[in-house]
Amino acid sequence: MDRLYALLADLAARGVLPEPLRYPFVARGVLAVLLLAPLLGGLSHLVVARRLAFFSTALGQAALTGITLGLLAGEPIQAPYAGLFGFCLLAAIGVVYVKRRSRLPADTLIGVFTALALGLGICLLVAATKQFNIHQIEAVMFGSLLTVTDTDLLLLLAVALGVLAALARYYNALLLDSASPERARVAGVDGARVEYLFVVLLTLAIVVSLKIIGALLVEALVVVPAAAARNLARSTRGYLAWSVACALLAGLGGIWFSTRFRVPTGGAVVLGLALCFFATLALGRGRGSA
Amino acid sequence: MADPPLLEITDLTVVRDGHVAVERASITVARGSIHLVVGPNGAGKSSLVAAVLGEAAFSGTVRCHFRGSGRVGYVPQTFPVDPTLPLTVAELLALTRQRLPVCLGLTAKTRAAVAALLDRVGLAGIERRRLGALSGGELRRVLLADSMDPDPELLVLDEPASGLDEPSAQRLEALVRALRDERGATVLMVSHDASQVRRLADAVTWIDRTVRRAGTPAEVLGDGGALPFTGGRA
Repeated sequence: MDRLYALLADLAARGVLPEPLRYPFVARGVLAVLLLAPLLGGLSHLVVARRLAFFSTALGQAALTGITLGLLAGEPIQAPYAGLFGFCLLAAIGVVYVKRRSRLPADTLIGVFTALALGLGICLLVAATKQFNIHQIEAVMFGSLLTVTDTDLLLLLAVALGVLAALARYYNALLLDSASPERARVAGVDGARVEYLFVVLLTLAIVVSLKIIGALLVEALVVVPAAAARNLARSTRGYLAWSVACALLAGLGGIWFSTRFRVPTGGAVVLGLALCFFATLALGRGRGSA
Repeated sequence: MADPPLLEITDLTVVRDGHVAVERASITVARGSIHLVVGPNGAGKSSLVAAVLGEAAFSGTVRCHFRGSGRVGYVPQTFPVDPTLPLTVAELLALTRQRLPVCLGLTAKTRAAVAALLDRVGLAGIERRRLGALSGGELRRVLLADSMDPDPELLVLDEPASGLDEPSAQRLEALVRALRDERGATVLMVSHDASQVRRLADAVTWIDRTVRRAGTPAEVLGDGGALPFTGGRA
């Protein structure tokens, strides 16, 4: 990795690449965005199609509890991955399990789970901050380029490849199930299987992105790209392409903005996403496809 | 020994949301026939279809004696299209016809298959239209096209002609007849249009929660123009 950063720094020094890439932490952030954008942007159109926007928000909040649990169990603050993955996967599977057996609307159930996770998280956080610096936890909540390590990047790469491979394998079944669950069943798609599979993939992708974007803001990257793309897309192919393009643009723009004006990366990325959304809304209206 | 019927429904009872939708209904659908199920609104026709498709819990037996592919095609009464999905007609048809994720595009083979299917139902050239932009009749024909390939051994249609104008309905009937005559499909179809029943049916079952009458269209409907239950529940 160091060689890669040296190469990027060299190119930045010679003016081939933007100047902030001289710094390894910026280079890491850019690499992270190049991995994150196709992953989360690509997932986002399915998140919107499957109406999991609120579910993604809930996952971000469950992450707080997961991190705290990891810290309490003795994991390092830079990588509380067991607590994070463990708790978020448990919460995600729990929501789907209860949803499939309850007559309550999904948003009500997610509300219950979010409240539970957040309540637990806050209680535990207070216990944990007796031992840890609150600013370190803040970095996880709001995202920070400074705390991204090479290990985080490699983990992100591995998870992204795994998630995208699984998605490619089950994509058509997932989309058919999103468009019409009944038709999917008649075509032999196991609805429960694709639902669990998708929330697990989504959880993995969200959790692995937390450190860069922040637990409170990561949900924006799995919702807003698709919302913006929907303003322009006239086919599923276009939907995916616009979603990924929007995530990439906002991600890279956000990093530039946050290094230039010293604001949290997560916040800057989300501002970029919102800009994309309103720009495409206006464009879509202009084209008459909104 | 005589050829067993393709579909044998015996003593079927379906309970949905706490009330009995179908009670001890027995229906035999002969191989290679077009069998229509008629009845007033709320008579349990859709529940019957759901049980046949394995979509609803039931007691009694539903037995299919398949000889060929065993494939079941299904055209639902309503197909709510998620307006958040900019899914095109070609993409919908491609979902079950290629392994490549549809979001990455359609293979040449799928493109050709989709074009041929749409041509069969008289909708050539609408591949790039979004599902949400189709009329009810067009959408119904797209779904019929989807259920026609590969050739179904049993085709289940839930009021496929409702909301269609007369020429569209007759065009759909011609397609169903062609599936029976040319591809040997057996058709189970829900309808509440008496003239359609007379034009199309080899056999009719009139249900109102349970089977009221079964036989040829003339036996079940009599000589009158309307269905016997028109004007409310019998």
